[in-house]
Amino acid sequence: MSLKQQLANIVGSSQVIDDAVICEGYAKDQSFVKGKPPDCAVRPQTVEEIQEIVRLANRAKTPLIPYSSGLNLHGATLPANGGIVIDLTRMRKIEINEKDWFVIIEPGVTYEMLQDAVTEKGLRLMVPFGVPPGRSVLTSYLERDVMLAAASLEYGNNLIFDAELILPQGELLRTGCWNLGGRPGGFYGPGLNMLYKLWTGAQGTLGIFTRMIITVQHFSPQRRFFFIPFNSSEEIADIVKLIQRKEIGCECFGLNRFNLAALLTDEWEVPRQFPAAKKPSAQFDIVKKTLPAWTIIVGITGSPYFPEEKIQYEEDALRELCKEMGRAVDTRLPGFPDLEAVFLRESLRPWGILKKFNYRGSVHDLSFKVPLKRIHEVETAIAAGAQKDNYAAQDIGGYFVVMERGRAIHGEFDFHCDPTASEEKDRVIKMWLTASKDLMDKGALFDRPYGDWADMVYSRAPQYALKLKQIKQEMDPKGILNPGKLGFKFQKTEDSCQNSE
Amino acid sequence: MTQQKKVIPNKLPGEVFKALEAVVGKENITEDRAIVETYSKFGIDISGFLKKHAKDPSNIPACVVLPQTTEEIQKIVRVANRHKIPFVPVTNGQLGIANMPTTPAPTLFIHFSRMNNIIEIDEESMTMRVQPYADYAQVQAEAMKRGLWNGGTPLATSLCKISSQAILAGLWQTSKKYGTIGKNIVSLTMVLPDGEILKTGSCAVEGVDDFWEHAPGPDLYSLFRGSAGASGIIAELTIKLHPWPGKESLPEPEPGRPSIRTYYDERYDKADPPENHRLYWIEFKDLESQIQALREMAHAGIGIGLNAAGVYNSYYCSPTQELTLKRVKEKFFPAYNLYVISACFISEKQLAYEEKVIQRIAELYGGRFLSSEYKPEVLEALRPWNLDCIRHVCGYRMSRHFYLDTWFCSGVPDIGTDAQKIWTTAINTVGETYITDRGGVDDTPFMYATDPAGRNFFTEADVYPNGLDPPSLQKAQQLMLFSIGRTFGQKIGPGVTGFGATFEPFTSFFPEMGPDVYLLLRAFRKVMDPNGVCAPGRSVFTEEEFKQFPAQLADAINRLREMNGLEPIRVPGKHE
Repeated sequence: MSLKQQLANIVGSSQVIDDAVICEGYAKDQSFVKGKPPDCAVRPQTVEEIQEIVRLANRAKTPLIPYSSGLNLHGATLPANGGIVIDLTRMRKIEINEKDWFVIIEPGVTYEMLQDAVTEKGLRLMVPFGVPPGRSVLTSYLERDVMLAAASLEYGNNLIFDAELILPQGELLRTGCWNLGGRPGGFYGPGLNMLYKLWTGAQGTLGIFTRMIITVQHFSPQRRFFFIPFNSSEEIADIVKLIQRKEIGCECFGLNRFNLAALLTDEWEVPRQFPAAKKPSAQFDIVKKTLPAWTIIVGITGSPYFPEEKIQYEEDALRELCKEMGRAVDTRLPGFPDLEAVFLRESLRPWGILKKFNYRGSVHDLSFKVPLKRIHEVETAIAAGAQKDNYAAQDIGGYFVVMERGRAIHGEFDFHCDPTASEEKDRVIKMWLTASKDLMDKGALFDRPYGDWADMVYSRAPQYALKLKQIKQEMDPKGILNPGKLGFKFQKTEDSCQNSE
Repeated sequence: MTQQKKVIPNKLPGEVFKALEAVVGKENITEDRAIVETYSKFGIDISGFLKKHAKDPSNIPACVVLPQTTEEIQKIVRVANRHKIPFVPVTNGQLGIANMPTTPAPTLFIHFSRMNNIIEIDEESMTMRVQPYADYAQVQAEAMKRGLWNGGTPLATSLCKISSQAILAGLWQTSKKYGTIGKNIVSLTMVLPDGEILKTGSCAVEGVDDFWEHAPGPDLYSLFRGSAGASGIIAELTIKLHPWPGKESLPEPEPGRPSIRTYYDERYDKADPPENHRLYWIEFKDLESQIQALREMAHAGIGIGLNAAGVYNSYYCSPTQELTLKRVKEKFFPAYNLYVISACFISEKQLAYEEKVIQRIAELYGGRFLSSEYKPEVLEALRPWNLDCIRHVCGYRMSRHFYLDTWFCSGVPDIGTDAQKIWTTAINTVGETYITDRGGVDDTPFMYATDPAGRNFFTEADVYPNGLDPPSLQKAQQLMLFSIGRTFGQKIGPGVTGFGATFEPFTSFFPEMGPDVYLLLRAFRKVMDPNGVCAPGRSVFTEEEFKQFPAQLADAINRLREMNGLEPIRVPGKHE
């Protein structure tokens, strides 16, 4: 029986897709990563179906690539060796626990769907800045996408509770309180404390998650946003450190003038496809010239009890601190009276910044973590490297979010590129790779090593990489789950069932 | 007259001893009977005490070695691997080797008392790198001088070693805001059981600072968190620090005080809370209203700690055992209560705001503040908590009467009700060993918020058998096993010990966990410890170790399983 027939026996023939055009689609995103079209895609809807598919892939020794929304944008779901794409987009159940503030989601649930669902209940989902609204929440949390409110230890990280996954050989595993099969409400265990973290940042190479509980917060209608302009990133660290040490605010992040201008450009729309269509904008150019080099954005949120009073004492403290530091702080920037309204919206649905894709069509970021004090140093290094390649520093998009009260920042600096212009694309690829290496040389942490970053990072962490490979070998001896990622290779054997290369 | 059984401890082969001596020097290794015996007496686990009574020599290490550097640890471990000698990393030694039921072989204790330094403090990234024997008191004292702190201390006192907690629980009075220690580790430098070094966190990558908790890709700290020291040895670790709103120092008790059961010092025990901190105690009429208020307090986003304690207050807050028992019998402390630790980071207005919120929620659920007007004598008696909630030094008062072992369970706030039911059934079925075993039956189980919005609470019930009386110990063991079996049978809580640490024989005898997580843990052990020499049998059995498990014990566990509606587990070769 053919592989396709066996898959059809599991999920029904209508859920097995081998249309060449569709399969091509699974093999590309807007990144520089090159994929190889899968033999087919299969669209299960239940845990049992996924288990059967995983066991089949093991028997057939064929790669199996988990796919939830395809909006990782860094090539994490592109098949490196063909095989079967296991498309989880049909799994879209949401269960909201209003009493204890968490949600149970399946991998097909998107940010847009979930934020809409929870805000109706007076709750709020933590969302990464600049995430596509159609991205899978489950995958995003699993891949450690950094939430906008990462400043606070409470709301930034560790937002995953119970989870359910299928291991690479088809066994079911549940973590947290679910590990006994009972009601949810924990992140410990089974056996090891917070074991689920092993699968974070794994790009689907160690298992397929079928359900996850993530925490949601109180949604306060009373919120305020404040803006602190800077002429240079050099001055940012000192004041951000003081704000964070006093634990003022929920959100704290920075946007350079390119990114803030892109967000404020009304002529542009948030694209739904990546890469997007290039669309020149005069408005963007004007807005960009008007804005400060960097703007730090501080969000203060109310609570269920006396929200105005909470906001007031935090606002008072912020204003006093800025006054002491000789810094302007306001709920607007000169020339932008409605800025607070923009961020009240964007803090919940932060995809407006994706308008930046209109600039050249595709965006290639350097996504890393460094200590807060190094923000200026890394920005300078990125700009200097780009200028060597005749890429204008003012065309680099810059964003950073403060993590854990200033312990670190997560930075994303973007190079823009027209993917249809081959010369430009080649130049940007070269520049992006050089800049990535340069930043790694300077000590930036690329903790989510997508695409070419994997070899660059793991060559600097040989012992860690070795242990990862040994763990992978034990869990996935046939190497079927998303091979080619994180340096894990697919060992093609004579009886491997896949497209000829 | 019956003849006393003679206990003959195991000895290491002479060549192994000599090889180890060459690593650490004559002064730092011993197989002297009196000394090695001492190292076997730190444990607070019931099975360890029962082994003592049974004159089981496997409870006594063959040799104790004291390394001073990471390189020495590596060399020791390599010697052990070469000669297939099991070894156990030890700090305060509470686990001892009692959790190694299948390893009668001569065992080496690697004790880290010579590795107690703070190596580095990075004030900018708010991190501190320490050696494995650094304790909470040290860490806090140094951090607070710099306007920082580590986020809490465990009830088992601030003399607990950070490294041990990093691979066990690390539960604090302030876990509501800061979580348990598993969320507060930036990096580990592990000497793996085969002697290789593995770093986790950002410093796993050459040239990257030690500032962030994730190494690239999958998080390998996951294999050590809760492994109870069976996956390798922590040679160094870096912890997170957080802003500290108090003064540069706290009143310090005399060194060694936590081990002195009757010590009571007004300078410490009647102190006010630290600068910019307040404690609020609120009494409720029943467990249900207490739990509702706990949930609501957490949802309100106030406070750094949110907990409830019943009978245990009598231990923590009484200078003598006599007064403890008097207070238990008279139900001096409120049966149903909660306390909030409020801290001011932003301004004085924050404290006033939080107090207002606490008052509102207390009103909503019929709570009553302990105050100068209502039960002032109780509020006064609770004063030891004022400092202990930040830097705990009196927790070991609860060991006055052989406190041995704790049953944990965790989940959403309603877990308090489940914990009370399970523990009550256990006490009613097995019987109590001491009056304070009834903590959590006649009053609230201990409840700690471990999540900022109170989505997860730890509940705890403790056992106080007479350690000199084997029947009392056996009854205590049955209480523990019954509760654990009940937790599994009713599918409540995250696992054996509640906080996700893994111990045999539960890992293998409760395949409901995961399910079958023992198979995954075996695979991890194989990668980390190919020769099976690091605390073998403690965390997860190999298939061979499982086969060697005593049939009598297996049958006893299976009886408990069946009492709780679970199928018996068959041990290959014994039940076939």
